[in-house]
Amino acid sequence: MFLALREMKHAKMRYVLIGLIMVLISFLVLFVSGLAKGLASDNASSIQTMTADYVVLDKQSDQRLNRSELTNEQLKELLRLTHKKQMTEFGLQMTTIQKNGASKKTDSTLFAVDPKGFIAPPAAEGQSLKGADKNETVGDLSLKEEGFVIGDRLKEETTGTVLKLVGFTKNQSFSHSPVFHVSLKTWEAMHDGKQSVNAVALKADSEKAKQIEKQVSGVEMISKNDALKSIPGFKEEQGSLLMMIAFLFVIAAFVLSVFFYVITLQKVNQFGVLKAIGAQSGYLSRTVLYQVLFLTIVSLVVSILLTFTVSQLLPASMPFLLNVPLVAGCSVLFLTVSVIGSLISLYQVIKIDAIEAIGRAS
Amino acid sequence: MENKLMLQDVKKTFGDGDQQVEVLKGITLEVKTGEFVAVVGPSGSGKSTFLSVAGALLSPTSGRIMIGNQDISTLGTKELNQIRLKYIGFVFQSANLIPYLTVRDQLLLLPELEHQKHKEAEKIADSLLERLGLLHRKNHYPEQLSGGERQRTAIARAWMNDPEIILADEPTASLDSERGRSVVQMLADEVKLREKAAIMVTHDQRMLDLCDRVVYMEDGRLMSHPSVL
Repeated sequence: MFLALREMKHAKMRYVLIGLIMVLISFLVLFVSGLAKGLASDNASSIQTMTADYVVLDKQSDQRLNRSELTNEQLKELLRLTHKKQMTEFGLQMTTIQKNGASKKTDSTLFAVDPKGFIAPPAAEGQSLKGADKNETVGDLSLKEEGFVIGDRLKEETTGTVLKLVGFTKNQSFSHSPVFHVSLKTWEAMHDGKQSVNAVALKADSEKAKQIEKQVSGVEMISKNDALKSIPGFKEEQGSLLMMIAFLFVIAAFVLSVFFYVITLQKVNQFGVLKAIGAQSGYLSRTVLYQVLFLTIVSLVVSILLTFTVSQLLPASMPFLLNVPLVAGCSVLFLTVSVIGSLISLYQVIKIDAIEAIGRAS
Repeated sequence: MENKLMLQDVKKTFGDGDQQVEVLKGITLEVKTGEFVAVVGPSGSGKSTFLSVAGALLSPTSGRIMIGNQDISTLGTKELNQIRLKYIGFVFQSANLIPYLTVRDQLLLLPELEHQKHKEAEKIADSLLERLGLLHRKNHYPEQLSGGERQRTAIARAWMNDPEIILADEPTASLDSERGRSVVQMLADEVKLREKAAIMVTHDQRMLDLCDRVVYMEDGRLMSHPSVL
């Protein structure tokens, strides 16, 4: 620490500049991560917030929720193999909703769930769904900003059913559209009893899931994560953002390693003198490592503050979600990457011979 | 009198196979307590290699080197590091101070490397700086010092860990003769005062009268008189 801090104090400009680059890169990492997370939640929070482990789909559905259709026989089989409380069926349909009397149409997704099942959303405002009442619905909170209020009568376009909005739910969206939840009974009535459910949400460990998949014919068991990936656009969106983040980490590693490599090359003679007067390689390597860590930690703290400040200034409609685990994860990864980036300099330091100090002018 | 440094038939060969070059061809030298020895010779005569071997920077190919009572000829890199830290003080050509340390910190670096307590070290450093007339400069960086002050700082640094012997590599190379003389004088005085020893490699003939003994290096051998006058 003796050398590390004094050097950084003496060559402030140099280290401030490289620190600034690190701040910008880590800020970009955090910001894009927040955006990716925000988009993911904006896209598919209905699936994300589902407290299920597996989703049972029809085998021909190509792992797409909206294409899947389960028959009554399959449902009965499933019910026989697992406890009633461990599974709940649901249906979904992309649709448009029109407020009665208004001309504006809103794209949305209709989810049909068992109001007593574990994927029924709790109400954030108003009432939640009840099994007995027909033609009632709860909608995502974002709809409130679009002018929907509790008590509104809403017309569902494809069937013409009029639903009564009784409450708002939190974090319910699918394929970037707000979700309206209705009870399975309403769902059946809307489609004259012809529409079957799309899928079943299941709480089970992997062994049990495999067993069920084997015993029920024509079904496929996919994890919740795979279900997310099968939502149109989800994988592509997340993939491109993830690639950006990965590249930023690589860039950060390179920027740091090149900077410290060049600085170390400049100091070969100096390290030679230090070794000649008795400094161990380990001591000098630690000095470089302290500097890398110090620089990274300070840059991270600054960029985390910056990111949170900026996220406060963003418009509410912008999908941005930054939580502590995400920030912590990014920070740890950033530190790891910077240490890896400094390895080449550490090797350089170890290689320097004390003999460099003799017979040479500084 | 006790020997501070003793070299016994020390040889150093560089390269391998057919390309072997013998730079030191059997050097024997004893430096006693309180003695200040100058090594003079043309460039390419092996002065730098001699200093590196005597200063525990290089291991000799054969022969024996004793510093104090310790045989260092067969030690490994790590042990040599410790020997340099504890028993040897270096004064390099053109000072070679660490550019981002103040004069006082240059000195305090040594106890830091030895994991010693700072309080005592600070006292030692301050008294050294005072004796070398640098106390008013103790918070300055090397770039703010004159050449002579830099070299004096280097000497103070070399004494900091209370070494048995000081090795100086052309300490006057970047100084004018007056400043160079005062720097060498300082080195000589300290050697007497502390009852240690010093070897100075130089080709500055004007400084030789300040030394107790002059040896001449020619083609890898040491002799007490120059072969050509």
